[in-house]
Amino acid sequence: MPLVDTLFRSRRISPLVFGVVAVLVAFALSALLPTYLVYLAITAIVATIALLGLGIVTGTAGMIALCQLTFAAVGAWIVSLFTVLDVPGGYILWLVAGGVVAGLAGVVIGLPALRLRGVNLAVVTLGFAAAADATLLKTQFPGAPQGTKVPRPEGFLDDRGFFFFCAIVLVVIAVAVHYLQRSRFGSGWRSVAFSERGTASAGTSVRLAKLSAFAVSAAIAGIAGGLIAGQVGTAYPAGFSTIQSLALYVLAIVSGAYLIEMAVFGGILWVLIPELLKRFGIPQDWGFVVFGALGIQALTTNSNLGQDLRNALTKRRHRRGAGTSTGLVPLSDEAFEASLQASGSGSGSGKPLLTVTGLSVSFGQVKALQNVDLTVDEGAIVGLIGPNGAGKSTFVDAVAGFLPQHEGTVRLGGDALDGLPPHKRARLGLRRTFQQDRVPPSLTVGDYVAFIARGEAEPVAIAEVLAFIGCPPASTRIVNVDVGTRRLVEVAANLAAKPRLLVLDEPAAGLSHEEHVAFGQRLRMIPARYGTSILIIEHDLDLVRSVCSSITVLNFGAVLASGSQETVMNDPEVLKAYMGETEML
Amino acid sequence: MLQGALAGLAAGGVYAVIAVCLTLMAQLVKVINFSQAAIGMFGAFIAVMFAEADVPQGLAVFLGILCGVVLSGLIGWIIATWLPEASISARSAVTVASLLLLISMSYILFGTKPKTFRAIFPGPAFEVGGVVVSQVTVVMVALAIVVAIAAKVVLSKTGVGTTLRAIADRPVAAELMGVPVKPFAIGVWLVTGLIVAVAIAIVAPTQTSDAASLSLLVIPASAAALVGGFRRLDLAVIGGLGLGMLQGATAQFPELSLVRDWIPLVLIVVFLLWNQRKEVWDAAR
Repeated sequence: MPLVDTLFRSRRISPLVFGVVAVLVAFALSALLPTYLVYLAITAIVATIALLGLGIVTGTAGMIALCQLTFAAVGAWIVSLFTVLDVPGGYILWLVAGGVVAGLAGVVIGLPALRLRGVNLAVVTLGFAAAADATLLKTQFPGAPQGTKVPRPEGFLDDRGFFFFCAIVLVVIAVAVHYLQRSRFGSGWRSVAFSERGTASAGTSVRLAKLSAFAVSAAIAGIAGGLIAGQVGTAYPAGFSTIQSLALYVLAIVSGAYLIEMAVFGGILWVLIPELLKRFGIPQDWGFVVFGALGIQALTTNSNLGQDLRNALTKRRHRRGAGTSTGLVPLSDEAFEASLQASGSGSGSGKPLLTVTGLSVSFGQVKALQNVDLTVDEGAIVGLIGPNGAGKSTFVDAVAGFLPQHEGTVRLGGDALDGLPPHKRARLGLRRTFQQDRVPPSLTVGDYVAFIARGEAEPVAIAEVLAFIGCPPASTRIVNVDVGTRRLVEVAANLAAKPRLLVLDEPAAGLSHEEHVAFGQRLRMIPARYGTSILIIEHDLDLVRSVCSSITVLNFGAVLASGSQETVMNDPEVLKAYMGETEML
Repeated sequence: MLQGALAGLAAGGVYAVIAVCLTLMAQLVKVINFSQAAIGMFGAFIAVMFAEADVPQGLAVFLGILCGVVLSGLIGWIIATWLPEASISARSAVTVASLLLLISMSYILFGTKPKTFRAIFPGPAFEVGGVVVSQVTVVMVALAIVVAIAAKVVLSKTGVGTTLRAIADRPVAAELMGVPVKPFAIGVWLVTGLIVAVAIAIVAPTQTSDAASLSLLVIPASAAALVGGFRRLDLAVIGGLGLGMLQGATAQFPELSLVRDWIPLVLIVVFLLWNQRKEVWDAAR
């Protein structure tokens, strides 16, 4: 979409206007194209539609799906069946029905695949493609043995007309896909492709994100299949073979079909390469050899035509001077004191928000956490510290819902969190950040914040929170942001969600000293400013000292000390755990 | 029923052999090789091509198998060179592309018509209760079991096996210890290429022998490999033989002909769900 995006942003053309223009161009083409090209052009459009769907699964949601033309066959099958049964409603309605049924087939195939990651889904979809292929060869499409013709829609009867009709369908689907990709759904797909844990922590159901991507892709393929039935009149299994599904997948990878204009380009390649080969008298099977070779090239170099083009475009935009980050700068002491005075300090109201009682986690024989109690008061900033391997991150994982087998109870305000999956906990107002980079690089900073905030934040609020934490502006692409700053973006995004409790897992790793100081100041301002309490896990004791009112120390999975900052920091046991015995002598 | 099951045993043997190779690849070089069967198919077709050009059958088969080995090594070299630290999905996607390439290449070189193979092991071996068991069946089942046991022994008892497991678990650490990781990885590809090429050369005369059908033997084979969770070689062999017999048995009932095509997929889904019943999250933390 970068080309489209650039057009929209710089010249203020909305996708709808773009769509109308595309329809007009298609009308002109339908009148002007040489007759022998019209039929090929229909094939190209249908391939483009199938690729658009495939782009959602493979490019956006990062799954390997090898049965796109099988879903198309489902659409074609429905349209053929409705023709034979003479179902009222006509071709256009049948086309939609085909899409719906294919989408349902996608749900059925996708449901078991939900828990499965990339390569397992590839096995399932390949198996589905081959099984359906074999079945279709035996049963044929409804009406095919009798030679029943699928009627084209009224007013689009000849090839030129049908070309125009297909083009309209393509434009409608492309605009819909564009809006879907820009929506929270689309961000969810990108996020799930990058990290399932990150997605769940944002309050988005991983299952739903994957299933919706798969179903939408299948439905689009079903519509493409219905169009094929209309194009050829009588559908035959040879048009929907497993090999062609493989080729379409590879083409989606090569062209980068999650970008709409690249799907169009892929659709053109789909007919152009075999057609060129035919012109030069070369067997058309070389077409798939070319796709295969290009696919290997694209996969081994992890690049595709669309992404290359996009990178070239953004580079040019950057050179023209995109917005730059102000960075995270410490406030002067007076300014900081003033803002703290205005907002009150972070020692808490005394009303417990997070109450963890008797939390134990074991991995086999290893007891990672034993009987841990911890309370975070409303409006407080609590530190959780401890040497490496003390169980701090395990604690966060358990509280956030990633370790459902834990013992003990976790309550947030009045809600019991036990047994809830991570995304439900996130929706109840418990957010966390990760030690590892979980910010999907394919989004912009603004889209990422909007996705994490789940519609809680308007653009103004997003800009405000980004500026507060010292993040790059919303239009910056995350891929251009360094890893340390990505952690800040993650904190800002989770703040924008206005959670009741924000759990920060070593947020300051990778920041410079100056940024550390500034980050500490911002943290102290958060409870009053955003109504968010903070549980912070940190190795840097300076930061902990400067922000936390109370501290809990873990060692070997058990609470070593807990209480106000002064008591804990002066506890000889704590010093021993941190410094080692010899240092104490 | 028994006759059908025994007839399916030859196919089951080839599923088992490919499943063993898939399991070895998944464990040792972290790839689900979708072009595993296609490599064998290509070798078998090359053998037919030579045989048609009046090369003696033994030599033709040898050349075909050699071609399969080289092809497998080539794909392995590409992956080991450019994707040494990529995820299993990224690596496997390359083999999807090479599957497409191999099938379409074979259409060009050998045509789209099924080939007639001269059987390497013709005729029946023995009879059990009036049911004839062919030589191919005996050879395939034996091959599957021998390969699985040999792989197990090599991996657990020899120095090469230890090195291979080290590479599989911690490639970077192994490399830092001075282990030539890439040659070992390519070696795994060469060996699995050899095994599959031999298996397909033996079984091709009894199968639907067009390029696509032979290449898509990888589907029932991955169903079999999933029985062992892409980890256990013994279960992969049992899964392959069982699947072959099940398909053979259902072939006895014409009314089940549509159902038969879906057996591998159902098996795949069931075992994937079973294997992953406890795995919920993508990363350890």
